[in-house]
Amino acid sequence: MTCGAPLDVKDKVSDSGWREAPRLRDMTEFRFSGSTCQVEGELVPVAEISLSPQDAVYFEHHVLLWKDESSPLSSLKTQGGMKRSLGGMPHIITVASGPGRVAFSRDAPGELVVLPLHPGMELDVREHAFLLASHSIEYSFVRIKGLANVLHGGSGMFMDRFVTAQYPGLLLLHGNGNVLERTLRPGEKILVEPGGFLYKDSTVQMQAVQMPLRTGLMRHSMYLAEMTGPGRVGIQSMYVHHHASE
Amino acid sequence: MNQYVCRFCRQPSDPNSPTCPLCGAPVDIRDVVSDSGWIEQPPIRDMARIQFGQSHCQIEGTTVPVADFSLAPQDMIYFSHHVLLWTDPGTRLANMSMRGGWKRMKAGMPLIMMEAHGPGHMALSDNHAGEVIALPLQHGQQMWVREHGFLCATGNIRYDWDQTHVWYVTGTGDDKETHYPMGQYGDIFTATDRPGLLLLHSPGNTFIRDLRPGESLLIQPSSLLYRDVSVSVHLHLEYPRNMGFAFWHPRWSYRNIWVRLTGPGRVAVQSVYERPENTDTIQNSSYATHHRW
Repeated sequence: MTCGAPLDVKDKVSDSGWREAPRLRDMTEFRFSGSTCQVEGELVPVAEISLSPQDAVYFEHHVLLWKDESSPLSSLKTQGGMKRSLGGMPHIITVASGPGRVAFSRDAPGELVVLPLHPGMELDVREHAFLLASHSIEYSFVRIKGLANVLHGGSGMFMDRFVTAQYPGLLLLHGNGNVLERTLRPGEKILVEPGGFLYKDSTVQMQAVQMPLRTGLMRHSMYLAEMTGPGRVGIQSMYVHHHASE
Repeated sequence: MNQYVCRFCRQPSDPNSPTCPLCGAPVDIRDVVSDSGWIEQPPIRDMARIQFGQSHCQIEGTTVPVADFSLAPQDMIYFSHHVLLWTDPGTRLANMSMRGGWKRMKAGMPLIMMEAHGPGHMALSDNHAGEVIALPLQHGQQMWVREHGFLCATGNIRYDWDQTHVWYVTGTGDDKETHYPMGQYGDIFTATDRPGLLLLHSPGNTFIRDLRPGESLLIQPSSLLYRDVSVSVHLHLEYPRNMGFAFWHPRWSYRNIWVRLTGPGRVAVQSVYERPENTDTIQNSSYATHHRW
């Protein structure tokens, strides 16, 4: 399984240690299991999946761009339906099975992040960032306690959790704007605007910390997400701002 | 000896570097100038570095670029807290006091600016696809920037804000409404005791032009990104010939709302802007020229 990243370009790493996600070239094609994925476009990229008969992918239903008529759709049973609805997460996850072609895109300029997951990996992804995952990846969600104050709805922040057991799988995310990744050493910390958080290894601890600052007319507290290594952290450069409304 | 001056930031620069060390503009490209005289501002290359004081800023990405700062101990930048993307825990953040909080809030401007003091790393990004524009300012140089265009500035750049004096009123009685097509207030940045760096975020693409004394042009009000303070601005109302077409509502009018920029000086426009949507008859306005076709 590959991720479609161009092999003839150098890693782009900033002085502060952030590595840019490789921008997938238009019409790049890569394989997973018996299926293929082709990435089309660069401003708001489309992931076009050609599913083999034994494969399936799951996704939030509103990211579906087009499909072959013959490709069957079903729903994935998820736990905590009410909590998911209250948290603003999709109540139903849809499954597209092969054989057939299905295409997906989100509705903002950005990048596709292709994350091949090997057996035994766990990855946490911010809500509404995942585009699709192959059926061999287990899906659940976790609530990040303490971030309730960051989001004015007070419902806290949910993350999608993707786990591979004994089989590898493919996970595709859509990052708004540009996507940057950094690998934190054990105990290393970084403070991230919660809206900019995109994904992390489950080994990275995430908690809300109050900054000694006040914002807005009502002098709201300012919170950032403190990430503590070891593990990878991915951020996006275009985000919904979660601080005080002014 | 001829000194190389960057075509985009207008500062003495290094022609042997791939990008201008002061504004990040590529050095090794030819000017892209439209037939009408607009110079396309080249995007800052991915991972280009911009030097200021003992610190530097690295631009990451090209869709929604991130300005990643490595701040030296004696350096400070300020910014609106909305644009903070991440920070090292060691970078000291503080509130920056601002005058006129109530007026700023009424005008939709950020109430609080934040300061980041070195040493440390931190990064800023806006949430629109576009470009980061770096404007190094020499001692005493001033620049007017449209509200919400500002990303950050170094500590030695003074920040003021003033009314744009571009407005019009529609409706009467309880329906009376005042419109500010290029915002109620504009930001004015002045380099005080030494050169400084001003970073803007421009949605879409950016085009610059040098106006000769007395030369003028019409632009969409919200497309103006920055201008030299020597450039004057006023409203221009243009009424196309109606050709017998009648609105069903007598209060509506068929018109274009422009601002007229008059040189001398540099102006920059962005290709993403808000089009004025209100079509009610204008009852009153700031100083405006008119043209009826």
